[in-house]
Amino acid sequence: MFPHKPTILIVAALCFCIGLTSLHPIALAQKKTAPVEATPPPVNETFKFGDVDLEVLQQADLLDVRLERDGLVLADESANAYVRRVGQSLIPRGLKLERVLWQFRVLRDPQPNAFALPNGSIYVTTGLLTLIDNESQLAAIIAHELTHVMRRHTYLHNRSDRKKFLTMNVMAAVGAYAPGGIVGAVIMAVTTVAPFIMVATMYGYSRDLEREADLKGIDMMISAEYAPEEMVNVMKLLDKDIEGENVRLFYNDHPSLDERIKYLSSYLGARADKVTQQMELNRERAAYFKKMEPVMRHDLQLAINGGRARSAVYLAQRLVDFDPDSENLFWLAEGYRALGPRAPQLTEKELTNSAIKDAQKKREKRTAEEEERELLATPSGQENWKKHQQMSEQFYQRALNAENPAPVAHRGLGLLYEKLGRGTDAVAEYEKYLELSPEASDRQRIQKRLEALKEKLK
Amino acid sequence: MSGRAIVLKIVFALVVLLTVSGSRQVQAQFLHPKITSKETTIRRVVVLPAKVNVVRDSMKGPEGMAAESDELSARVEAMVSEVLSKQKFVKTLPATGGSAEADAQQKYNVADFQTKFDDLLPKIMKKRSDVKKGRFSMGDEVLNLNLEKGADAIVFIRGAGKKLTGGKTAMRWLVGGVVPAYLRLQIGIVDARNGEVLLYTDPDLAGDPTTAIDRLRKALEEGFKKLPEVKG
Repeated sequence: MFPHKPTILIVAALCFCIGLTSLHPIALAQKKTAPVEATPPPVNETFKFGDVDLEVLQQADLLDVRLERDGLVLADESANAYVRRVGQSLIPRGLKLERVLWQFRVLRDPQPNAFALPNGSIYVTTGLLTLIDNESQLAAIIAHELTHVMRRHTYLHNRSDRKKFLTMNVMAAVGAYAPGGIVGAVIMAVTTVAPFIMVATMYGYSRDLEREADLKGIDMMISAEYAPEEMVNVMKLLDKDIEGENVRLFYNDHPSLDERIKYLSSYLGARADKVTQQMELNRERAAYFKKMEPVMRHDLQLAINGGRARSAVYLAQRLVDFDPDSENLFWLAEGYRALGPRAPQLTEKELTNSAIKDAQKKREKRTAEEEERELLATPSGQENWKKHQQMSEQFYQRALNAENPAPVAHRGLGLLYEKLGRGTDAVAEYEKYLELSPEASDRQRIQKRLEALKEKLK
Repeated sequence: MSGRAIVLKIVFALVVLLTVSGSRQVQAQFLHPKITSKETTIRRVVVLPAKVNVVRDSMKGPEGMAAESDELSARVEAMVSEVLSKQKFVKTLPATGGSAEADAQQKYNVADFQTKFDDLLPKIMKKRSDVKKGRFSMGDEVLNLNLEKGADAIVFIRGAGKKLTGGKTAMRWLVGGVVPAYLRLQIGIVDARNGEVLLYTDPDLAGDPTTAIDRLRKALEEGFKKLPEVKG
């Protein structure tokens, strides 16, 4: 009576492949015939709403409500206002679009991603904001998403997909894959509300619509005086596969990243008369980091919670390079502690498709604790753990010796020492933490650990 | 080869095919050894918001049913509390509230633990019987949820189901090969003090999930059958 997951996945994967194969010649034909400069106007003025479109719109509105209600929207007004400002600056002046209310929000999700709903809601995840370098890159992402809304891509894609029986199977695959696993809570929320929106906005539109969004995005960046070459640079950044996940979402759909980088560079060559000075970009980077620091720290916690320790170390190191203050040093220490016996970077062999799939299967079977135990049974795992616990301890100490030391570093040291079997040291650190942070939200947990340790040490 | 042998072979192949394509995990419930040995008793629980997702399966693919899913989630959540209370005498406590700032933090905490459960769920599903070995835990971070002091356990509810449109129902009868309407829940009860998964159950029901009330109650009663009653 009920579908068996692997069976659905196999069938769906086959159908998905057939779907992709059928798209390929169209895309190639388009590539041959369409010159890169020929992009349509920013707004799809011929679009008329039908019942089917209104249904999609209703689902999009409900999705907004759900993301907010489920605690997935970051309640940081300053961060949301910043993203809003960048977004608003890209929208052509005086533009009025039927049934679109522009909203720009940050989502609490460590997976680098961004998507647009057809009602004008643009979401950028903390994972993406933490990965990018400057405001121009943020503008590149938002400009791409704005185009999807302005050109009514979601509705067009929906209309087209409703005619295709295969879509159902693609959706089944997405639905079967989405709950749990390595993908974020956001995907699950989207799947719950509207499977179609899930496919279109997060797994990508068709090749030609994505291409259109890329190229129009560049035009919008130039109009808003953002460095257009950052569209190419942001794609290069997104190409980093720190965690070895073959399901990467944003900019990872039908046209390959390499292909997109190529046609964007070519389009840019035809349009841009200068490349922004490096010094100017550096200034922009510093301003961006200053603005986004709290969001980045929030994201580091989410990354660690989500078992993305490699990302956490990589991103925390960027923060420390920018500003080696106590809190950033604390996050780097947390990243190394979470990394434990894992290698800080995946090897080329581990990044091959088959290795990524194997790792994914293992992740679905093993708990994080079991993975750590297995790694610790290997010489390389032991070596990594030794190195990382030293790094972690060193960064916690540096955090405590810095100006305005963050009391949480005592908690981190306590947890590290407890794991290392240094009970007395752990007790001292826990006590210090509780003394310095009487209102901490994790007080109950640390108090309980402290009591258990004291009992053990008797 | 005789005609009879060929027919038998075809029947066998069809049976195998149907078994493979239509197979699913049998509904079951698994208890942590601490529950079976009565070392831990679940007396008071906090039920976190249920996440039940239903879709309408139409001839043009599945369509979201956001409003109906929300309504069903609330119904399942309330009915889980009701069944636990009436059948097992387990009391449901409210999730704690506080200042606006504390509420925002609590909202994040709940969202993060819901995500953590979603991450753990596929691992449980791979080998549900390992709940009986006490293999699964969400860690003592559950204490950061700062639930009411008396809470013994936290209930996580997930569910997926589908409703068929008229066209799809007709297609099912005429052509076949369409999975009928259903609802399958996945419920985990986690120790509020150390995060251990104390119970996992996946009750299911056949038919339109959006209209299920008695069927839902019956499925839940069945799903919690093995959970020991609170005495005294």
